[in-house]
Amino acid sequence: MKGFWWKSLACVLLLYSLTAGLLFPLKTGVADVFPRSAFLGSRVTLTVKGYNSRYTLYRNPRAWLKMDSVHAIAAGAVRIKNARLLELDFTFPTWLPDSDAVKDLTLVVDDPADGVSILPNAVFLSRDTVAVNAAHSGDWNLTIQGVHPHIGVAFPYRNILYETIRNTFYHVPMWFAMFAMLGVSVFYGIKYLRRPDEAYDVKSRAYASTGTFFGVLGLVTGGLWAKHTWGQYFPMDVKLIMAAVAVLMYAAYFVLRSSFDDTEREARIGAIYNIFGFASLGPLLFVIPRLTSSLHPGNGGNPAFGSQDLDNTMRLVFYPACIGWILFGLWLSQLLYRIAFLKVHTLSNERQ
Amino acid sequence: MIKEFWFLLQKEAVLEWRSRYAVGGVVLYVVSTVFVVFMASVKVAPNVWNTLFWIITLFGSANALVKSFVPESAARELYYYTLADPVAVIFSKIVYNILLLFAINLATYFFMTVFVGNPVKDTWMFFGILALGSASLAISFTFVSALAVKARNSATLMAILGFPVIIPVLITTVKISANALRLFQDTAIGKDVLILISIDAIMISLSFILFPYLWRD
Repeated sequence: MKGFWWKSLACVLLLYSLTAGLLFPLKTGVADVFPRSAFLGSRVTLTVKGYNSRYTLYRNPRAWLKMDSVHAIAAGAVRIKNARLLELDFTFPTWLPDSDAVKDLTLVVDDPADGVSILPNAVFLSRDTVAVNAAHSGDWNLTIQGVHPHIGVAFPYRNILYETIRNTFYHVPMWFAMFAMLGVSVFYGIKYLRRPDEAYDVKSRAYASTGTFFGVLGLVTGGLWAKHTWGQYFPMDVKLIMAAVAVLMYAAYFVLRSSFDDTEREARIGAIYNIFGFASLGPLLFVIPRLTSSLHPGNGGNPAFGSQDLDNTMRLVFYPACIGWILFGLWLSQLLYRIAFLKVHTLSNERQ
Repeated sequence: MIKEFWFLLQKEAVLEWRSRYAVGGVVLYVVSTVFVVFMASVKVAPNVWNTLFWIITLFGSANALVKSFVPESAARELYYYTLADPVAVIFSKIVYNILLLFAINLATYFFMTVFVGNPVKDTWMFFGILALGSASLAISFTFVSALAVKARNSATLMAILGFPVIIPVLITTVKISANALRLFQDTAIGKDVLILISIDAIMISLSFILFPYLWRD
């Protein structure tokens, strides 16, 4: 078993990330409310549909509609219908703090049992053109205080993402693994150019194939995710184009290699294109997407891996998943180049 | 080495002049493509013009540079190898190709103006982009054609190998060019120019590092 520890580690980390990533529940959230719009000065009964909620266990439920950090109103009464359904009574003030025609309000529901849950843009509040001169009544000056944290291990609930937030553990590590594999491939390519040993070339090629494989998997998992969140398998997005180009580039690498008869020449020119392609992937994947608008986090000026995208519970699964997939890729490449060695040398050869 | 570079550059020009049909073919290619655009759509919107212009430029460049290492026979290459420094060889090729592509792209611009119209608002800026874009295309395609020529059916391979490498350059160029057409206003255009220049710098230094290995055949 000596020297195999990292393969066992890969298995343990992958099993952990697959089970933990799929089994931990999502935090309580608000899936939908009705009605979505209201007028100033009106009384509205808001029906709230919960997600992973246990409303029947609520002892001290509170709810607010929040405009900004200093403007909010509290629900007059909270009626619990069942575990997934709440009814909230709101009386809106007759005035707005500024001259905007429409305001979007965020719904905040809180109880010690489930912790706080939030729905952004829950209600659009518009001025009633008829009652425009009504006297000021009602108050916005309420700040939300003393909300409860969620108890227990759970992933964040995000509207749009819902359960697909788990794909973070399977989609993102594909790219990390791809880069690790391609990096090792280029490393062996450089080694080959410095000292033309066939073993380096076989390794370089094996790592390039696993890297490309991870790239294809990244595109597939990303496509499925994009269908559910952005509505299209392949939306027009700089990062997607770049990723597809990266995979195409390595496909071209294999086409280039297959067009030689002479293995020594194939190895050398393959290594040169490998280095050239990998170096041009740098601006492709990391510089240009950051300067153009993109749907991905971390692009168009958005921070990547900030507290918005990954909370501590997700980090607990995400980092092991990354390490696990990279180790798995190294293992896969090792198997590939061992097969290649066996094909090159006869089985009786002492070298393997 | 600078002397070598000048000799090699002159050699490129002389070779090109002796076989005028090559560059003539490319110009004819550009003219016929522009003419097809003209016939297919009489009136072209500025954003379509921008797209078409760079597509024509891209394929014109690929056609022009695919043979940049072909006319050299194996024996003659061996002869250069004994005489010249590989860096001087690749550098002279790159510089020559930049000039050639700039000329061809200027011709494309001229023919587009004549046949399809000229929506360019900021002409000097557009010339700048044309120069920068030609340089970027020339650098990438020169190196890729040096790779492709070593393999069988190099013309197909050139397209397969070259296009992934050229896409970041093309995206940036089209964006700056849209600015010159006033399709949108971008105050941070300097950043895009800087990206293009840094991509060029990466490509040139890679060519200098890798070409000596490619050369040894």
